[in-house]
Amino acid sequence: MSPAIRVAPVEDIAEGEGLKVDRSVTGTADHIAVLRDDDGEFYALDDTCTHEEASLAEGWIENGQVECPLHAARFCLRTGAALCLPATRHIRRHQVEVRDGEIWLLPDMAPVP
Amino acid sequence: MPSDPAARSEPEPRRSRATVTRRGALHRPAGLEPGIDVGGLVDTEAGLVDRAIFTDERIYRQELRRVFAPSWLFLAHEDQFAKPGDFFTTYMGEDPVIVTRDRTNTIRAFLNSCRHRGARVCRADFGTTRNFTCTYHGWSYDLAGKLVSVPNRDGYPGDFETGQWGLVEVPGIDSYHGLIFGTWNSEAPPLRTALGEMTWYMDAMLDRDPEGTVVVGGIHKWVLEGNWKLAAEQFATDWYHVNMSHASALQLLAPKAKGPKTEIVHRTGRQYVDPRGHGAGFPVHPKNRFDAQTVHDWYDYGALRERLGDARVEGPLTNGHATVFPNFSYLPVNGSIRVWHPKGPDRMEVWAWTVLDRSMPPEVKEAQRLYNLRTFGPSGIFEQDDGENWSEVQSISRGFITNRVPLNYQMGIGSERDDGRYPGMTSELYSDAAGRAFYARWKELMTTPAWHEEQP
Repeated sequence: MSPAIRVAPVEDIAEGEGLKVDRSVTGTADHIAVLRDDDGEFYALDDTCTHEEASLAEGWIENGQVECPLHAARFCLRTGAALCLPATRHIRRHQVEVRDGEIWLLPDMAPVP
Repeated sequence: MPSDPAARSEPEPRRSRATVTRRGALHRPAGLEPGIDVGGLVDTEAGLVDRAIFTDERIYRQELRRVFAPSWLFLAHEDQFAKPGDFFTTYMGEDPVIVTRDRTNTIRAFLNSCRHRGARVCRADFGTTRNFTCTYHGWSYDLAGKLVSVPNRDGYPGDFETGQWGLVEVPGIDSYHGLIFGTWNSEAPPLRTALGEMTWYMDAMLDRDPEGTVVVGGIHKWVLEGNWKLAAEQFATDWYHVNMSHASALQLLAPKAKGPKTEIVHRTGRQYVDPRGHGAGFPVHPKNRFDAQTVHDWYDYGALRERLGDARVEGPLTNGHATVFPNFSYLPVNGSIRVWHPKGPDRMEVWAWTVLDRSMPPEVKEAQRLYNLRTFGPSGIFEQDDGENWSEVQSISRGFITNRVPLNYQMGIGSERDDGRYPGMTSELYSDAAGRAFYARWKELMTTPAWHEEQP
């Protein structure tokens, strides 16, 4: 686990929106998408869809899921599980916390299997 | 809808280069798109029209090529695109198009057909999106039409470049007082030039309010048996049918249902005749008359006279009908704008918007919306009469003898003049003058090779 990264004030990401954090900042293999569900909760997943090259930070977020903006694959925000075709592989999740009105990201630095 | 008028942006007149599509060794053989000489089917000097122009499939195919492809066509209202990614799908002739606001806030339009196998890349009527993804194999395009994802990209040859396979863009996009028009013709005159003096008449609907207009409610769509020109022509030139076709509606709407007053039945008025094929007719009366009482009470007619002038308030603001060639029509006082989408020689789809002044308070908007739907909505008491007539004319037009008997467009021949009060040439309220001009323009386009045709 790497040191926590301060991402943005909470109000910078509206409900149902996402923010892509570049891998040059996170130090991870992929960029990380910080995603805010429509109930206000924050989640973080690898940004690139496991099906094709697409940014999940651009996706449609609601009801505990993010839908890829290109081909409509859906992932569970909590577990990263692939929920429907065309995605078949789950996506890596990362820890995210809200501290004093700021969003903090704790990237999972484990090597890619 | 945005409440801050400064937040609204008119689309910049855009003249992007027509999309170059790779053709390889493809070429269309001569005879695939035969040019039929339709010059003998319309005689505007004698006021005669051959019914074949309403029924013949080959003539219809030529209309798509020479009337629809080269002309400025109505696409949508700016109010439908508040933020990037908002889109609306419609047709230009029979070509499906997506109109959208891209990430730089520019209104653009694209052919709604995947460059791979040709399915539509957007199947919704309207909405908000970030990409347009084909549901067939998954090619995805961004809001600027760029191809951004190709599943199994590695399977394509080395010289495959996504930059060459973006959506085909409509090269000409421009707007007039909130109405967005597009053209495939990169050689078309600017929209303002193509509208000509028609804009003076259009302003009676679009420029009453310094804040402009807004769309209220959804867009109604219905199918009618009937050639698209029957509707476009009527809205350009035909007050004549009102007292006959709409007799029951006029009877119903008259105070105490005793029927309309003599001066309403025997109205005088003018009909604008545009050489570009547009037309507009309206009664002339010293008093303006918005029929919904709430709306009538709300308008400050003194201010309207100051803003638009007496001639407009006593003319196109009393009532009226209009067509912008080829297939956009409106009713200035009702707040109805519509497109007659061609669907083969025998069928059209009517797409109708209710467009009202932005400054109207909600209860006035609601009164006007209901009035428009009651009269010219899909089940409106006037709209039903009109649709019945067009379908009636169409249903018998295929009869061999019937089809050969010319139709009469002779009312008001020679009556067109500059009357010093209404811009351009005008005729009487009851006249076929704008209809003759509509068909003269149709004939001109139909007998002239379009920009996309290879010169012999």
